[in-house]
Amino acid sequence: MLEEEQVAFFLASRLITRGNKGTLLLTIMIIAMVFVNLIFLPSIIAGIVVLFNQQNIDYSYGNLVIEPREDQLLITNVGELQQKISRVPGVVASTPRFTGAATIVSKGKSTTPLLIAINPDDEKQVLNIHTKIISGDYLNDGDTGQILIGTTLAGNKDQNVDRTPTLGGVDVGKTVEVTFRNGVTRQYRIKGIIGSSQFSVDSSAFITRKELESVLGTTDTANQILVRTQTTGNEDAMRITLMQYGIQEKIWTWQDKSADFLKSIVGSFDIINVISTIVSLVIAVVVIFIVIFINTVYRRKQIGILQAIGIDRSIIIKSYIFQALFIFASGTLAGCALLFMLLQYLTASPLVFPGGPVAPVLEPMLLFRAIASLFIVSLIAGFLPSWLTTREDILSAIRG
Amino acid sequence: MIVGSNLQRIYGKGSVEVRALDDVDIAIRKGEFIGVMGASGSGKSTLLHLLGLLDRPTAGSLVIDKVDVGNLNERQRTLFRLNRLGYVFQDYALVPELTAEENIYLPSKVRGMTSRECTRVCSDILGLVGLRDRVSFLPGELSGGEQQRVAIARALVNNPAILLADEPCANLDTRNSTTILELIRKLNKDLNQTVVMVSHEDWHRKYFDRVIYMRDGKIVTDEELEQANPPEQG
Repeated sequence: MLEEEQVAFFLASRLITRGNKGTLLLTIMIIAMVFVNLIFLPSIIAGIVVLFNQQNIDYSYGNLVIEPREDQLLITNVGELQQKISRVPGVVASTPRFTGAATIVSKGKSTTPLLIAINPDDEKQVLNIHTKIISGDYLNDGDTGQILIGTTLAGNKDQNVDRTPTLGGVDVGKTVEVTFRNGVTRQYRIKGIIGSSQFSVDSSAFITRKELESVLGTTDTANQILVRTQTTGNEDAMRITLMQYGIQEKIWTWQDKSADFLKSIVGSFDIINVISTIVSLVIAVVVIFIVIFINTVYRRKQIGILQAIGIDRSIIIKSYIFQALFIFASGTLAGCALLFMLLQYLTASPLVFPGGPVAPVLEPMLLFRAIASLFIVSLIAGFLPSWLTTREDILSAIRG
Repeated sequence: MIVGSNLQRIYGKGSVEVRALDDVDIAIRKGEFIGVMGASGSGKSTLLHLLGLLDRPTAGSLVIDKVDVGNLNERQRTLFRLNRLGYVFQDYALVPELTAEENIYLPSKVRGMTSRECTRVCSDILGLVGLRDRVSFLPGELSGGEQQRVAIARALVNNPAILLADEPCANLDTRNSTTILELIRKLNKDLNQTVVMVSHEDWHRKYFDRVIYMRDGKIVTDEELEQANPPEQG
């Protein structure tokens, strides 16, 4: 049986090395392009997802989000709870927050964004918002009468440019009026403008917890505590550890909190991805099939003659499968080289998306899937035309 | 050696039916060099195709080397062609991407010879047809006569009992045709190989032991000749 493969390989190797080099090179390049196409878009999408995930961790949730217990509106004894959290191995830091809606007015422009009360020093250890001050300064723990405004919320002087309700282009040093849900109204000086490229941050306003507690008349309360852990990816295990350390509040992972948003994004991208993959594979099938088919039709007479001199059709079919596999292997290698260059370039000069710079992410599974798909396609494309041609009766084949 | 009885080959159906071979009986002894002659459409190639197991008769039986080849399946027929028959085509039918040696190597390798054996046999057989110095030449680099000699070498490499040649000189000039005919005649005598050759050239008959004339799918004459040493062409 192995002799058959040897002969088929011998025949295939000679047909490849002594056949038309131009056609062979063109076919290999087409397969390389198809391979790149199979990988490139999904890797960009993976890059976008990685970006969104990182942004969610860095600007919105940290790794874990602790919320009030069942039937409670607030977390009480926040300081004590933070101390308990800090004792859990793997925890880097935690930061309490108080989030709620408030009405902000500036020069007659009014909007009701999310107002987040924070401990600025704690926040610096959990989130990266402090690194995204594009104008003015970040808050300090003792600040009162000062506010940070997201760039989307600040808006533009020309409000036609704004797509959401804004304050009409407020800037650092200006004063805005904030009306809290309990009816208290206070004046705040804008201390800084945040431009994080994360919509939920850039459309919010930030004051200190100290300031909010003076408005609400509460102490040591919050409705969220964000927790930063040493590693990302083991949030489920960390949640269990926190529970084992006696934390009875509800604990969410950042994945839980962003699930709906991410699901809708990934779902939409997956549709694009599937369409792109199918189109690429169809192109690959058609190209390899056409090349092998033209090759077999062109060699129809030769195939008939090979059968006439006693070469079994299975050997002939195998020789065409070997040719198709050679095209697959060479195309995949060339595709890998192209892809490597492309990834190097895009890593050095990432694509700029509204959420930030996106570098393609090449997942091993994606690579394996593309190679496996092309391999199967090559097998089919090598087998089918040669099988069809060798099924024909010998005399018809010889007569062409 | 070869016994065909009531061989029929009918193409088409109804009003377009063509009787390419019409109730032919034929018996060929071992070591004979038989010429099958006749005008175009007389049925000589059809007969050769049946003997070469390239086609199946519509009716009748065919026994080659005591094997009723009508009972063989496709794979068995392929094996039979590989091991017992050698076929030479009018237009050489070499694989253009293979050298002279590799064209011959292919059927011997399929038969299970080791690479070393194949190389030795290929070299011997190319020597037999006078092309030892052309082993690494591609068909495109050989003359028509040389290509046909490679084709003959390929047909002989597995030492078949029967050599079938379908107008092997049709594309050759007289000098090359003579070379080929003398080669086949020599192989027939030296190796005691049975040869059935289709030809429409009258001057070829002097090389044959026996000539069968065909017309309208029937054998019209079957003539034994006494020509152990064929005269020079001219």
